[in-house]
Amino acid sequence: MAGKRLLTLAGVCILVSMLFAGCGPTPEPTQPPPPPADTPGQATPVPPTEAPPTEVPPTEAPEETSVVIVIPEDPTGFNGIASDTGYEKLLMELVLVGLTDIEPWGEFYLELAAEMPTLENGGVVIDEDAWTMDVTWKLRDDVYWADGEAVTADDVIFTWNAIADPEGGIWAEGLDYTDSIEKLDNYSFIVHYNTVYPNYRVQFGGENFAVWPEHYCDADQGFVAWDCNREPLSSGPYTLEEWSTGDHLTFVRNPNYYEEGKPYIDKVVVRIVPEQSVRKTLMIEGDADLDFWPTESAANDYQNAPDVEVSFSPSTRWVMRLIPNLAARGSTDPVENPHPILSDVRVRQAIRMAIDVLLITDEIFLGYSEPVWTEFFRPPYICEVPQPTYDPTSAAALLEEAGWTDTDGDGVRECHGCLNAEEGYVMSMEFMIYAEYGEELELAQQLIAEMLGEIGINLELSMAEGTVMWADYESGGIEQQGNFDLNMWDDGYPGVDPTDHIWYFYYSEAAEPDWGWNVGRWINEDADALIDETYYLDEEYRQEIFCELAQLLDEELPQILLFSAFDSAGYSTRLEGVQATVNDSITWNVADWKIKE
Amino acid sequence: MGRYLARRLLQAIPMLFLISIGMFALVNIVPGGPLSGHGRSRHIKPQKAEILKRQFGLDKPLPLQYVIWLAGNDWMRVDADGDGVAESYGTRKGILRGDFGFSYSTRRPVLEEIAVRLPNTLLLMGITLTVALVIAIPVGVISAVKQYSVFDIIVTTFSFAGQAIPEFWLGLILVLIFYATLKNPVTGDPLLPAGGMYTLEAGFSLVDRINHLILPVTAGALGWIAWYSRFLRSSMLDVIHQPYVRTARGKGLRERAVIWRHALRNALIPLVTILALDIPYLFAGAVFVETIFAWPGLGRRYYQAALDRDYPMLMSMLVITAGIIILSNLLADIIYAFLDPRVQYD
Repeated sequence: MAGKRLLTLAGVCILVSMLFAGCGPTPEPTQPPPPPADTPGQATPVPPTEAPPTEVPPTEAPEETSVVIVIPEDPTGFNGIASDTGYEKLLMELVLVGLTDIEPWGEFYLELAAEMPTLENGGVVIDEDAWTMDVTWKLRDDVYWADGEAVTADDVIFTWNAIADPEGGIWAEGLDYTDSIEKLDNYSFIVHYNTVYPNYRVQFGGENFAVWPEHYCDADQGFVAWDCNREPLSSGPYTLEEWSTGDHLTFVRNPNYYEEGKPYIDKVVVRIVPEQSVRKTLMIEGDADLDFWPTESAANDYQNAPDVEVSFSPSTRWVMRLIPNLAARGSTDPVENPHPILSDVRVRQAIRMAIDVLLITDEIFLGYSEPVWTEFFRPPYICEVPQPTYDPTSAAALLEEAGWTDTDGDGVRECHGCLNAEEGYVMSMEFMIYAEYGEELELAQQLIAEMLGEIGINLELSMAEGTVMWADYESGGIEQQGNFDLNMWDDGYPGVDPTDHIWYFYYSEAAEPDWGWNVGRWINEDADALIDETYYLDEEYRQEIFCELAQLLDEELPQILLFSAFDSAGYSTRLEGVQATVNDSITWNVADWKIKE
Repeated sequence: MGRYLARRLLQAIPMLFLISIGMFALVNIVPGGPLSGHGRSRHIKPQKAEILKRQFGLDKPLPLQYVIWLAGNDWMRVDADGDGVAESYGTRKGILRGDFGFSYSTRRPVLEEIAVRLPNTLLLMGITLTVALVIAIPVGVISAVKQYSVFDIIVTTFSFAGQAIPEFWLGLILVLIFYATLKNPVTGDPLLPAGGMYTLEAGFSLVDRINHLILPVTAGALGWIAWYSRFLRSSMLDVIHQPYVRTARGKGLRERAVIWRHALRNALIPLVTILALDIPYLFAGAVFVETIFAWPGLGRRYYQAALDRDYPMLMSMLVITAGIIILSNLLADIIYAFLDPRVQYD
């Protein structure tokens, strides 16, 4: 009897489950509602600029083409500025455009902009006395939103004002230097800067910025929270057809897209597949066409698979680096409380000499990473800084010279006449990485600890979540509070202008808690002066300044740069036109992708 | 029974209240914060961090944050513009009035986030639990009745293996076998799909839905089958040597009736407790199974919220799960009375 009842209960359980589940997932409304025809201030939808074709359509409709992109997590929306996982940018490139962008080889190209403003064409005017700058942008007049409204200067200004809204809690490149934006006419506007801002060329474009429609997005909801962030109105090659949360997003061609005949592929499906090995299997079995940011081992497998290829970015961006804390643990003042071990530049130099970077890149990262030893290693700013040599013998000698010797023969050095530690202080410290990177970083951490152990530096390995390591001071952020000795993580500047990145990593003010990411607390007036000098438009002068800075960084080693993490995408051989880039998301040129015949 | 139920429900209120305080403290004590997870970016400017803290209510003392989470802030003046002057009433209603807040990472209402994924989780976990029970009950009974038989030894071996094999590993192996290796002999397609809830662009098909359920349900149910069958086996072994079972046999009842009608009913009572405690899984989902099989359920969302320190999302899921645990325990007591007439609550 009880068994029967239990079975009945089980049956009811299934039925209830099915009832809750309905007949399938619950796709959210995705297509933007068409604007009411009689809404004041809204024009009647304008048809695409080209007249409809007059030829007789072929008797058989061509087969619909589609691609499946697999990514590991559900994007929060289409806003590349509001979130930084990289997947929002991937979606943003499918549906929205900015004024300009940067292609994989570092050249600028135009999207909404009709021309690039320069000093030569009068688009950029510098006030030498006040050291301010005005930039005039002219827009194309043949770009339309998916509902037929024209994309105008009002949309650009609306987007910028939404970002600049102090209550938005958003920071974007150029925000600190932009005084105001003024509309000249429907297709041009002028930007007033409070200084000379060299990165103006991608301030309204690049990998983060896209123009949002003024007539469609509700400014009162705020830039981060507005509904159009999940139900965007398209100006790009595709429009969002369906978003099934946590499962997939489907995009179809935007008939109003301004590049005639593009995109070539009818449909793009973005599937959420969290597990890398499953994404890899889907790719190899032909059920997915593009895997964004595969791991090194997955890329290796793709290169050995018959129907999958790997696209590598021509340059790399993310540089794995050691962050030595120059202040004593728990302090943020390197002058009053210097770190007993790492505050001596000779120790930092010895650490760099004792690490065999090539061994790490070849054995752990399977040759996909390359040694990097300066911030200025990729176009347009490449500085000739000699590559450090792996020389553990010289490293050991340098430590001896710095007053670190192993007198008790336990294999770990102690302070005997060193710079900032008490006599007998043991050369032992914590070496921390962040958990999210994965197994490769753990192996690299272990290998580095072994290498430094060879010269008498004992490292205790530890790991923290990124949310703990990089939290703000009040939330117990390990780095902002200075509660670390030696950390390792990767970072690099977006686009082609390193100025902001350099400021945040090396400027003295950026060493203040919660003011930047100079968490090693390197205070150097010469570096500050050089960084101040980089806010010029003269490229030759900037190159000179950056290379002077590169020299200083190489001598002082506030960070020890090791190797670049690769940027790639695995893609099906039936797909044409895919090109990975560190300057943008993999979908930067999705309109040009084709399916091979 | 009615008075008992009313008393238990009343007791549940202060219990939930205390649990919520504990949860709130624990969630906030954990190092790290939502701002460092905000967009998973290190590049958040200090001025912007201040604004976000104010918007999220993180600039207030922890006890006040709890009060606002519980009872809202529409009854108190708040400093909306950060000038240090509390000039207008807040907009939050608090969880007591059904306002679970909004997710820090997506800025969408928490209930909306839960509602989108809950049906998927209920479907997967409901079927997994049901399949586990349907298999585990007869297996457990037969194992006990045929103690030390070949069947019992095989089941015991598989039970230990089932409990020991991690879902994560099993899921990957299942994908490798049934998706990457075995093919449909007619079409040449993989025998079973590697993940997702249904085939995209294929339209609704019950067969397709079932195909997509087979691997995740298998990966999720194996551990439960092993656990329930072992549990029922030992429970049955206790029962079948009881005098009333001998009496039933002595009365000339057929062995099948003795086992399935008399012994099983009593042997199931302890299992009910275990089952009741597993009911919250129906809500919370299974992180590993959902991750491997790309199942858009709540387990994955909860995991992401924990990584992002998305406090409103975390607190809502924890409190709802706590509520379900309390209710499922009450349900277990009710089923006790239903299964065993000797149990009286009044």
